[in-house]
Amino acid sequence: METVFISELKPLLNAVAEQMELYVPKKSGEYYVFIKYDPSSGKTAEFNNIRACTPIKEFLFPLCELAAVFPEPVEPEEIKPFAVFGLKDCDLKSIEALDKVFLEDEFRDSSYVARRENMFIISSDCFEPRQSCCCTLFGGQNYAESGFDLNIAQVKDGFVVEAGSDKGEKFLQEHKDIFVEVHSEAIMERDSIRKQTLRQLEENNAKYNLDGPVNEIMERGGDSEVFDIESQKCVECQACTRVCPTCHCFYLYDTKQKDYFSKMKMWDSCMRLAYAEVAGGANPRKVLGSRIKHRLMHKFSYFFDRYGINMCVGCGRCIDADAHKMDIRVVLKKLNEELKEKPKAKVAK
Amino acid sequence: MNKNLYQPINGEIVEIIDESPTIKSFVVVLNEKFSFKTGQFVELTLPGVGEAPFTPSSSPAETEKMDITIMKAGRVTDLLHKCKKGQKVGIRGPFGNGYPIGDFVGKQVYIVGGGVGLAPIRSLFLTLVDRIKDFKSVVCRFGAKTPDDFIYKKTLFGSWQKIAGVDMKLTVDKANGNWKDNVGVVTTIMKEKDVNIKNAVAIACGPPIMMKFATQKLLEFGFAPKDIYLSMEKNMSCGVGKCGHCMIGKYYVCKDGPVFSYEQIKKYTDIWD
Repeated sequence: METVFISELKPLLNAVAEQMELYVPKKSGEYYVFIKYDPSSGKTAEFNNIRACTPIKEFLFPLCELAAVFPEPVEPEEIKPFAVFGLKDCDLKSIEALDKVFLEDEFRDSSYVARRENMFIISSDCFEPRQSCCCTLFGGQNYAESGFDLNIAQVKDGFVVEAGSDKGEKFLQEHKDIFVEVHSEAIMERDSIRKQTLRQLEENNAKYNLDGPVNEIMERGGDSEVFDIESQKCVECQACTRVCPTCHCFYLYDTKQKDYFSKMKMWDSCMRLAYAEVAGGANPRKVLGSRIKHRLMHKFSYFFDRYGINMCVGCGRCIDADAHKMDIRVVLKKLNEELKEKPKAKVAK
Repeated sequence: MNKNLYQPINGEIVEIIDESPTIKSFVVVLNEKFSFKTGQFVELTLPGVGEAPFTPSSSPAETEKMDITIMKAGRVTDLLHKCKKGQKVGIRGPFGNGYPIGDFVGKQVYIVGGGVGLAPIRSLFLTLVDRIKDFKSVVCRFGAKTPDDFIYKKTLFGSWQKIAGVDMKLTVDKANGNWKDNVGVVTTIMKEKDVNIKNAVAIACGPPIMMKFATQKLLEFGFAPKDIYLSMEKNMSCGVGKCGHCMIGKYYVCKDGPVFSYEQIKKYTDIWD
C-alpha cells in the first residue's frame, strides 16, 4: 500500500471533511474526546499522543438507538459516510472484536453494519502512552498495521501517511496534490519512534507480565478468591463497562409513542446486579465477585473460545475510569501468582 | 437491506385459556408465515411494555397459530395476564436450537417436567406422538404443586395417557380433592426399572430446583451427561447471541441453547441459580 508525506495536518483533514463528516480528537483536561471537525474554524486538529478516553464503540454502537418501530416498520436512519481521525491500534482491535459480534454471518446487526461500512478510519501512532496503557500485554502495540483506511505517524517535520485499504488508497490517489513523496529518513524516524514507544510500553508493564496465555490463566484461576477480594474495592459504578471499547452488552426496552411503538437498544452492563436476573427473581450472579469474574472470563476465556481473539485490547480505559483503581492487570497478576502454587490440571473445555 | 434482528412480526392474541391459578395459554396468530422447531423460543412483545422469552407450547406442525403458555412471574407477564382477546402483540424469532429430535429416533425418550416447564414439553410431546412409532417409547414423569397447578389438565389427565407408546405418571407435592395418583416431588415417580438405560435419552424442563434433582436422579440411573437434555431458562433478551444477558459460561442460552446437554454445561456452577 502507498505511503506518502504531508507537512501539516490541515490540508489532509480538510480534504477528508470535504467528502464526509469528520471527528477529531480534542484535549479536555488530561484526556482526549472526539469533536466534529470544522474546516472553516482556522484551527487544525490536535494530534493525540494516546487514545481518547471515550470508547470508539460510540461511533458504531451508539449509547442508545432506535432498534425497531412497529406495528408499521420504518426505514432505518440513513447513515452517511463519516470519518474518525486519531484512532489507535487498540481502538482498531476493539473494532475487530465488535465486528465478530455484530457482523456474525447469520445475525448481522443492520445498524452496526451500516455504520461500519460508512466509517472511514484514520488511525495514528501512539507516542506518549499513559501508565494505564497495557496493549502489549494483550497482543497489541502502539501503532497499527491493519484495520485502518489511513494511518498517520507524526515525525519531526510532518506526518507519514499510509494507506491500509482500497478506500484509503483511493483517497491518496484522489488527493495527490496535497501529499509529497515520503523520504526514507521520515520512515526511519517513524520506525524509531515506534520502537522507542513500544519499549516504553513494555517497560511500564513488565511487572504485570504473565507466565502463560491469559485465557489459560483465567480458565485455570476461575475458582480463585481473587474476584471476591477485588470486589471489595468495587463501588459498582459500571464505569469500566461504559468506557470499555469492546464491552457490548445491551438492553432492549419498549416504549409507547403517540401513534407507534418502538424498541430501543441501550448499552447495558454485566456489572449491574439485576443484569442476569430472570422473572421470578433467580439470578446466577447475585454476588459482586461473581460478576467481576464473569466479566473477565468473558473477556479472556469465553470470547477467545468462540472467536479466537481476546475481548480486551489493553487500552487501560477501565483502569483510568475506576473510582477505586481496580486494575485488570493486578487481578490477572494475582491469579498468575496463585497458579504458581497450583498444579496444572487438565482444563475442561 | 439487512433484515432487522429486532423487528417483531405483528400478531394478535385470538384466544386465552386459563390453565392454572397462575398460568394462562395465549393463542397467537401472526400476520406473516412463521415456523419453528420444537424447543426453540420466541420473544413475545407486549407493545409499549416489553418483551420476554417463551418456548411455544404448540406443535410446530400447527402453522396457522401458536400457543404460548405463560406464568405470572414478573412485570411483562403480569400485564400479559391482564390482556384480553384481540390484544396486539409482536413476535421475534424463532431463536436457538430446539430439541435434536433426529437423535432421539429409535430410543426411549424419558421426559421429566414440572410446573410451567410442561409448556415446552407439550410442544415436544406433540411432536413425538405425531411420529410415535419412530421412538421406542415416550416416558413422561410430570409434577405440579397441587392438582390445580397442573396445566393442560384436559389432555394431561385424559387423552395423552391413552396414547400407545406413552407411559405417563403424574405427581403432586400436595394432594387435594380426588387426587388418586402419587404425592411427592417428581423424583419420587422416577424409577430406574422404567428406564431402558442402554437406549434412552432424557429431557428435563421445569423449575431450576426440580431440574437439579431430576438431573441427579438421571445420572444415578446411569444416563450419560450427553444424553440428558436440559431446557435452560435464563434472561434471554436479544435472541441472537449479542446482548449478553443469558450467558452460561461461554454459551449464549439464546443462540447455543436453550436446549443443552448436561455434558455441555455441567462445569458451570451457577446453572441452577
